[in-house]
Amino acid sequence: MSATASRPSADPAILRARRAEDVVVGEEIVRHRLATRVIHWTVALFFFLALFSGLPIWTPLFGWMAHLLGGLNVCRWLHPWAGALFFASMAVMFVHWLGEMRLEPRDREWLRPQKVAAYMKHQDDGTEGGKYNGGQKLFFFAAALGAVGLLLSGLVMWFPLEFPRMLRELAILLHDVTFILFVLAVVFHIYLGTAAEPGTFHSMIRGTVTKPWARLHHPRWHREVLGEETRRP
Amino acid sequence: MTTQNLEIRRSSASLWGEKTGMRHLPVVSKFIDTTTCIGCKACEVACQEWNDLEAVPTRQTGNYQTMPELDAEFWNLIRFNERDFDGGVVWLMRKDQCMHCEDPGCLAACPAPGAIVQYENGIVDVNPEACIGCGFCATGCPFNVPKFHAKTGKMAKCTLCVDRVTSGLEPACIKACPTGCLQFGTKDDMVALGHARVEQLKGNGFANAVLYDPPGVGGTGVVTVLGHGDHPEWYGLPADPHVPVGVRFWKSVLRPLGVVAMIGAVLGAIGHFMYQGPKEPRARDGEPPPPPGA
Repeated sequence: MSATASRPSADPAILRARRAEDVVVGEEIVRHRLATRVIHWTVALFFFLALFSGLPIWTPLFGWMAHLLGGLNVCRWLHPWAGALFFASMAVMFVHWLGEMRLEPRDREWLRPQKVAAYMKHQDDGTEGGKYNGGQKLFFFAAALGAVGLLLSGLVMWFPLEFPRMLRELAILLHDVTFILFVLAVVFHIYLGTAAEPGTFHSMIRGTVTKPWARLHHPRWHREVLGEETRRP
Repeated sequence: MTTQNLEIRRSSASLWGEKTGMRHLPVVSKFIDTTTCIGCKACEVACQEWNDLEAVPTRQTGNYQTMPELDAEFWNLIRFNERDFDGGVVWLMRKDQCMHCEDPGCLAACPAPGAIVQYENGIVDVNPEACIGCGFCATGCPFNVPKFHAKTGKMAKCTLCVDRVTSGLEPACIKACPTGCLQFGTKDDMVALGHARVEQLKGNGFANAVLYDPPGVGGTGVVTVLGHGDHPEWYGLPADPHVPVGVRFWKSVLRPLGVVAMIGAVLGAIGHFMYQGPKEPRARDGEPPPPPGA
């Protein structure tokens, strides 16, 4: 028997999505190459680690989470390290994505309240988003800014003996406000990336989207990738 | 910390309130008369001995004070304060330790359930088993008392000798005082003693003498007679101590609001999905419909 028996060949789109981005493979378009997906999920992993170790310290309402991680003392040790790794991976993701996330006048248009309302009602035919729409870019920069706020306030809370009392009081306030806003944004990020827009979660796992998905959610990117429109700077 | 035979009135970061007190115990208090303190430091030694605290290297700061601040291994410190007054110098010695506030800022700020408790008799205590050493209590304390113990990773402070008091004894510092400037008893008795002493001092020319029992923290379990009551800061005491506004705000407003907002966001997303449904590609221009879930 031959040792080189026919092995099932991998999906060509998956193979292509390891390195390339914004390319058409058959009926699919590669949206997120492997590096992008790995960075995204690394940030997500450390975010949830920091979230679940921080919530029981934040309020006893989430005290039960501490038991899952081995107790509140473990959380006190784990939370700052998870937070530090969250910030570090966020910094890598920021650099990685910055080029694609530059705000354009079109994005400002997208962020007008009427446009956002139309988007939520699935009636946003007027403004054609590029690879990322205004909301996604806003979330990108807000998350990066939030990570800086969480890091700075978190450092003060990590080493309370090194800082004056007034600063510690302010740090806890800043950490709280930033964290609450961050979680609210992440709730909508997860909702939009899963249930609200089928196909989106798949793009962050396997890297590819279907052509109809691209035309619906990012029509200008769809045309660009298919070569109907040259990419604007 | 001897919780087994003491009754807890209030507990930090508790959801339902871990009140275990069945009996009504009288609130206890120390009485400190700064005008008769001779700075002998017998109370410092007694505290170290009774609580088996390690000897901490002292630091010379130009006066007789043992060290600049309280320490995790040094819970009782006589502060030696010198002030120019009325053409001369006054030497104001005050015994510094946990004030055992009726409304403790440390307990309010603490995020660890049961790590700081207030017993029915008013004593505020750290439970090292539950303490996570985050230092929030130090942020909440208006008197800068709780200290981080590097060896245990926990916070430590004066227990008002709760182990002695539970057994019907007076705190070690009180027991050691040779002048009687330290007394111990019920809060009512100590306040009465303090007021009597203040009246006496006023008759002796200390017109501004007061009994320091600050209402901003609901009164303290340590009442202090100050000869120069118009200048509590001369003794290293804040004029009007409060639980920090930030601590109150984040505990009582920000965190409940945050929890409500987060639950609201999740419900909002679910509601939007049920009302609006998913945004999916539709067939157009005679194309075949996209595969399901695409």
